[in-house]
Amino acid sequence: MEAGDDRPTADVESGARLRLSAVRSGGAVTWPTVDGPLGVSWEEAETYARRFFLWGFALLPLLWAVNCFYFWPVLVSKASPSSSPHFSRIRPYVVWSSIGFLIFAVLLTAWALTFAIGGEHLFGPMWKDLVMYNLADKLQLTGWM
Amino acid sequence: MDDRSTDSDPVTASESSILDTLGEDVIRIVSPVSLCMLLVVLLVSSLSSTNDLSSSISSLFLSSPPTSFSSLNLLLGSDSTWEEIKSALITALSFVVVVTLLTFLLVLLFYFRCTNFLRIYMGISSLFVLSFLGGFISLLLISHFKVPIDPLTFGILLFNLSVVGVFAVFMSKFPISMNQGYLVAIGVLTAYWFTMLPEWTTWALLIAMSLYDLAAVLLPVGPLRLLVELAMSRNEEIPALVYEARPVDPQPGDRVRVWRERTDVVRIEATENSTNSANVQTIQETRLAVSEEITAPLIEPFPQTGDRHLNTEEEDDGIGLGSSGAIKLGLGDFIFYSVLVGRAAMYDYMTVYACYLAIMAGLGVTLLLLAVYRKALPALPVSIMLGVVFYLLTRVLLEVFVVQCSSNLLMF
Repeated sequence: MEAGDDRPTADVESGARLRLSAVRSGGAVTWPTVDGPLGVSWEEAETYARRFFLWGFALLPLLWAVNCFYFWPVLVSKASPSSSPHFSRIRPYVVWSSIGFLIFAVLLTAWALTFAIGGEHLFGPMWKDLVMYNLADKLQLTGWM
Repeated sequence: MDDRSTDSDPVTASESSILDTLGEDVIRIVSPVSLCMLLVVLLVSSLSSTNDLSSSISSLFLSSPPTSFSSLNLLLGSDSTWEEIKSALITALSFVVVVTLLTFLLVLLFYFRCTNFLRIYMGISSLFVLSFLGGFISLLLISHFKVPIDPLTFGILLFNLSVVGVFAVFMSKFPISMNQGYLVAIGVLTAYWFTMLPEWTTWALLIAMSLYDLAAVLLPVGPLRLLVELAMSRNEEIPALVYEARPVDPQPGDRVRVWRERTDVVRIEATENSTNSANVQTIQETRLAVSEEITAPLIEPFPQTGDRHLNTEEEDDGIGLGSSGAIKLGLGDFIFYSVLVGRAAMYDYMTVYACYLAIMAGLGVTLLLLAVYRKALPALPVSIMLGVVFYLLTRVLLEVFVVQCSSNLLMF
């Protein structure tokens, strides 16, 4: 694989800098993952992208976020003639994972903020029973260890 | 170390030395250890105001009475401190015995090639630590800081974080930063749980574990040494929880987890109905499956491609070197360092600083010895012994000195 033979031109000291240097100036990516040469290869990347995507449906949206984070170079760059042929197979999974995670995050944040900010004013006395610290005391969740 | 071009020093590429990359390597192993210790100290200091909770819980499960009783007994003249010491020694001894037995069991299972069973077992125990212990500690934090979170959000977050954590620790291909982050998290959770033991028990446990570590890695009959030699002879991977620092100069095709990993997971499972007559109280304490380390020395000359000078792969209970020169440190070492510092935090911040410096000095000495001997080495003994000595000295001598100086406005 031609992509696997090149090394990123910038320094490879840290993963964060690797991420930036994984995308060459022409827009094509050398490594599919943020870990660069330590990550998955182009051939195996499709398996992993698909696996993360499918397992995310088991009430695990964090796996979608992991998918986007792991294949970040694939997400931010566009398909170009010099990129690997696997690129276009990986990209749909990563894009759909990011959409799924964003929708889920918006929903969960909206609910959490409503609960926290609304408080008793919105929910009435039921709020006191539902809030976690009271619930933990009532159910003795912290007393068993 | 390998030849590589320098990144920061104005040295020509041909004369790279060990100093060019040693600093970076050391930083990459010192940072997560420091982070783990910092988080445990923060947890201990923020949750210790709920002292009644933890001391009442520990008095439920542990043999030593809460301190109020012991002071009352001192007034009455009975030597309950001696009783505490005795029970602490018994606890520590039984812990070491259980750990030794479990390690030998691990060696046996590995000998009979039950690797899948071991991996599943470790996955389940990581899940247990992350979900139950993580949930317990986050509930303590939520109760303490009165965070207005609802059960649905809490449940979803806990479920997601723990399941992804298990994947991060055991899947072979996962973002390295997340893998490292979750290992540190598991270390923090387990270390905080250990700090909930009574004082004398914690110190006895630390000293006993460091002696065990020394014996298990360096003696020829040590279980960890056997384990590593077994894995070496078979060229197999031991399923383990090991923190591996990212190599400074990654080569393409150089997979981080190609080489052997040390088993750094110790499982202590206490029976829930503690019907063991001899060690009723002691086993009652360790109700959880806890991460423990199994040190296994490993010396293996690898035929390396490319210009690598580092041909030995050493894995050690405490410390070792991967095939690309990255330093590996067992999770158990993270845990016990953090337990020492966490227990020091329960006294005062002065002891925290002293113990932190002692542990870092010990880690530096261990790294130095690793570079000299190029063998698997136990990382616990030097640091723990230094830490205990510094804790005692600070508590007995330094504190009096500093307090006197401060109260006389001489030095702050």
